[in-house]
Amino acid sequence: MATGGDPRPEELVVTRVFDSPRELVFRAWTEPERVRRWWGPEGFTMPYCDIDLRPGGTFLRCMRSPGGRDFWVTGVFREIVAPELLVFTDSFADAEGHVVPPARYGAGPDMPPERLVTVTFEDRGGATRVTVRHAGLPSGADRDLVRHGWAGGLESLSGYLAGAA
Amino acid sequence: MSSNTLDSTFAALADPTRREILVRLASGEASVKELAEPFQMSLPGVSKHLKVLERAGLISRGRVAQSRPCRLEARPLKEAADWVERYRRFWEEGFDRLEDYLQEIRREGEGGNGR
Repeated sequence: MATGGDPRPEELVVTRVFDSPRELVFRAWTEPERVRRWWGPEGFTMPYCDIDLRPGGTFLRCMRSPGGRDFWVTGVFREIVAPELLVFTDSFADAEGHVVPPARYGAGPDMPPERLVTVTFEDRGGATRVTVRHAGLPSGADRDLVRHGWAGGLESLSGYLAGAA
Repeated sequence: MSSNTLDSTFAALADPTRREILVRLASGEASVKELAEPFQMSLPGVSKHLKVLERAGLISRGRVAQSRPCRLEARPLKEAADWVERYRRFWEEGFDRLEDYLQEIRREGEGGNGR
């Protein structure tokens, strides 16, 4: 599967082409009332979203699970090139926007307290290719294991792991 | 599992030879000699990889005489994969919703005052 550029081994890369102009897609990522309409997993709502869109500016979002559990997330914009690029940190937070240990949300002690997310928006003749690079895994992490080991059909291994679930 | 363990899990998985060793072990126990065969690697070379995997808790070694067969320990592997998988799903599902949202806007734009 083609992804944008060379994924560094410790990054998770997710990409998709949207049939909308780049300016609009960028706004959907950066304007709170638009972000609230789509951000997060299926079934989640966003009762709170504040975005201070400038380098060094912060954001604070509250994602509410279908079961009614609130996940507060905050971060700092490291780089903004409208409508091409967004780089921001991503951490769990409390409702006041203070960073909290991921364990607070039951994420387990192995979750790093801060992840770095890089989003690129490429113009594809009126459509837009969005690529999310999600770094901040422990050093030496290897996404290839997932891509080649699980998705790539090493059934014996994935079957074994499924049995260990 | 401590973050140290997860770190060493990821470090151990970063090497293609070690990943292949794990895949081989998924189909059953194997001795060092059996593991060395497909790699054209010396026994000490393979042993070095096995030590890394063992330290990361990804394999265990039997106590049986000389051969000390290697066995895959799935749990650390699964935790590392789950971590990545959670985030992949997070973005994929977000993208699905963004697609729907953009489509909605397009329809509104066509039906409404345009611009």
